[in-house]
Amino acid sequence: MEYQKEIEHVAKLMRIEIDDPTIYESVDKMIGYFNILDSAGVESEEMTIKEIPITKLREDKYIPSNEKLIEKLNHYKGTYLRAPKMI
Amino acid sequence: MNLKISALQFTKDVKSGNISAEEFISKTMERIQNVDTILHAFLSLNNNAVDQAREIDKKIKNREKVGQCFGMPVSIKDNICVKDTKTTCASKMLENFIAPYDATVITKLKQQDAIFVGKVNLDEFAMGLSTEFSAYGPSKNPWNTGYVPGGSSGGSAVSVSAFECVASLGSDTGGSVRNPASFCSTVGYKPTYGLISRYGLISYANSIEQIGPLTRTVEDAAFMLNLIAGLDHNDDTTINNNNEDYLKDIDSGIEGKKVGIIKEMIGEGIDPSVLSATKDAISKLERLGAICEEISLDMVKYSVAAYYTITATEAGSNLARYDNLRYGYDFPVEGYEFNSYIVKARKKFGPEVTRRIILGGFVPSAGHAGKYFLKALKVKSKLTRQINEAFKKFDLLISPTVPILPFKIGEKINDPVALFLIDINTVTANLTGKPAISIPYSMSNGLPIGIQLIANSMNDKLLLQAAYALEKTVKLPEIPI
Repeated sequence: MEYQKEIEHVAKLMRIEIDDPTIYESVDKMIGYFNILDSAGVESEEMTIKEIPITKLREDKYIPSNEKLIEKLNHYKGTYLRAPKMI
Repeated sequence: MNLKISALQFTKDVKSGNISAEEFISKTMERIQNVDTILHAFLSLNNNAVDQAREIDKKIKNREKVGQCFGMPVSIKDNICVKDTKTTCASKMLENFIAPYDATVITKLKQQDAIFVGKVNLDEFAMGLSTEFSAYGPSKNPWNTGYVPGGSSGGSAVSVSAFECVASLGSDTGGSVRNPASFCSTVGYKPTYGLISRYGLISYANSIEQIGPLTRTVEDAAFMLNLIAGLDHNDDTTINNNNEDYLKDIDSGIEGKKVGIIKEMIGEGIDPSVLSATKDAISKLERLGAICEEISLDMVKYSVAAYYTITATEAGSNLARYDNLRYGYDFPVEGYEFNSYIVKARKKFGPEVTRRIILGGFVPSAGHAGKYFLKALKVKSKLTRQINEAFKKFDLLISPTVPILPFKIGEKINDPVALFLIDINTVTANLTGKPAISIPYSMSNGLPIGIQLIANSMNDKLLLQAAYALEKTVKLPEIPI
């Protein structure tokens, strides 16, 4: 596999642990297919990006919920989300 | 009770008192019980559907105001939030997730008195084109249950095709509405990007995905579009369609319209019966007065690679939120360190989602972004430029929706690149934001073939008119189930 080490590194960064080695093989095959982009001849192409001016965005205002959304979580204590220890 | 009627016929019949919403919904729920053990279109059912229909009948009887759907049974892809119902994305990761709010499309359909009979199957997080990647097992094609129904909105297409509802909502990121529509012989509509709000659609690749209807007829697709399209302050990418009536003048015909035949979509790898159906559809359009000519969009060759590069990147970011803390399944946090907990929790993702998350980390990463992600964005730009040029000459573009016939369950599941390439004809509309429709057109060996029409942005009305004209030339058999 051409990209095995890099795939393993990226998987770790993405917090993915894989037991099935065929996953690595298929990702490697997919990346191999993406190499077709090299022959697209788009180096000089400019990317078109759709911009939405900030004035067009809706107001970022707090809307109180009439429900206790926190209760929909699996793990919470009082009004706090409960997470595993970091250290 | 005839369950095989169109959405428009249903609303007309209930409104006039020919049928009651309650009776129709009851029979629909019975039909689901009878056929869905085989087809597996539904992931969950609405147990209150009959009661809701009864309320609508009461409103009609009391001459109260009733919405335009008159209790029409609609199925909803399970990546669209319906308040207080499970929304699993066909993933074990969201096995017990109850949506705390309605998607905008759901709010709009509720206002029009649609009845949601249930949530339907998909490839996990809409990543796939066969529903084989659903964590709850694949749906089956009602035309031949040994075959895939297409995807990712496979459950939507099956439920419409097998008369388990009158219409459905799916989502289309790279053909996920049109592909199953083609494989199951229903109409599948992907609107202009921004025409329908994505608020409440669980995100996969925000920059290109759209919610779209799957229906029995083109008129029904126009009807659904009338109900759900338009600006939404909760989705800043929505566009103002000035309350366009897509049903009005749908029978205008296509005389004098110029139709481009996309050369790259009828080339290498196409099934002979699909090619033959496409040529036949082109002849019919010509007989209806359209002028058809071949056109080349050479970036189509790179569109699949660009599409998967861009969508994987967006998926990698969107799915980072699934750490099992904010959303997730029952898995206690005690005894775990933070990172190891999240890694362990994310093992609930299925193989296709796992692959795409890894890809989504790889292709935009330092050292690779220039080779993959940035190049994919440039292909997207060039393809958009090419298609915009094409629409200076043509009103519409045509191709088969999918270059092959539906395939057997399990036949391609171990070859992800072969699966990718099935998207070759559908991803262009997503990458360029154009509206596109799949129209049931013919059959080969008992399996359906759909024809795709694409129009320029905001020409959804013209697209529906052309699709309607083509649909009227077709007479197809009924499903065997």
